Amino acid sequence: MSPSSPPPIWKHVFNFTRVVFALLVVNKAGGLIYNREFSAGLNKLNSNDLLILAGTFHGVHAITRSLSPLPRPPYGSFAPTDVPVRPTGLEVLESTHFRLTCFQTATGVKFLLLTDPPQPNIDVMLRRIYELYADYVMKNPFYTVEMPIRCEKFDRGLDGYLRVIARA
Amino acid sequence: MVVYSFYIFDRHTECIYTRRWTPRPLSSAKPARPQSGGSVLSNGDANTVAAGRRGLSKEDDAKLVFGTIFSLRGLVQKLGGDDNNFVSYRTGEYKLHYYETPTRLKFVMLTDTKVPNLRLHLHQIWANLYIEYVVKNPLSPVEHPGGIGVANELFEGTLERFKVTSIDSIGER
Repeated sequence: MSPSSPPPIWKHVFNFTRVVFALLVVNKAGGLIYNREFSAGLNKLNSNDLLILAGTFHGVHAITRSLSPLPRPPYGSFAPTDVPVRPTGLEVLESTHFRLTCFQTATGVKFLLLTDPPQPNIDVMLRRIYELYADYVMKNPFYTVEMPIRCEKFDRGLDGYLRVIARA
Repeated sequence: MVVYSFYIFDRHTECIYTRRWTPRPLSSAKPARPQSGGSVLSNGDANTVAAGRRGLSKEDDAKLVFGTIFSLRGLVQKLGGDDNNFVSYRTGEYKLHYYETPTRLKFVMLTDTKVPNLRLHLHQIWANLYIEYVVKNPLSPVEHPGGIGVANELFEGTLERFKVTSIDSIGER
């Protein structure tokens, strides 16, 4: 492609919507074990405030799970299973400036991704981040479970992935 | 679109109006389902949630809802600045919509998960129903401790009609 030719139209579509502000990882006890800012736009918080925020979110997540107004979830009604359908708790939180998407793994680790509200395909991104976590954090022999994540490869993997998205 | 419940909280954090459209009350709605499947769970937290649900009353639900929106509002303002407003959150089972007036009156509505944002509808409930039939009611007190003056016939009737005509039909259009 010659340098003068205009970029394909989808580049324009995605360029301005793809903003990921930050990623937080909360362990199953509600402690913050990883935080990383990718682009400016949110308030700068010190590590103490971030810890409080993670703990608050952990508590609210548990409450939202017990607030369900349904006697049983509608999707359980046509799929008779012996396993009770577990309430999921908060998945997406919307505010005027950002959107927080929470992905909880089967072991109770929560990935909180703060993005621009119109950002599409967040579930795909979270799944990819979870893969990176599994590859570079859980398979790291020097990492202790539930402890703060200090793995350079995870950092670099996240940087690489989210930069690629931002440039797409 | 299904609306499950609706709450109004005043600026003293008190729940002044509750309306439910679910057949059974929110928390105590959990039917005593056979617990034989309970051991299948990897950890016991779903069981404790279920047990907790049965023990809660209507007032406790309102308090839980208020605690949730209060915490989330603080969280959202801390992250995004003071002009950042909490709009809604969604779980796998329901969605909570939130609207706060300048006088710190809070309107909360719980619906199913497929509903788009209801902020505008909640604003309409405030402007067209609450102001008209509660605030402008000469017999109603200025503050509503314990909810007196809010649940009058006109307000409840028009709220019901508004819900049927404007919110229930969102998905059908």
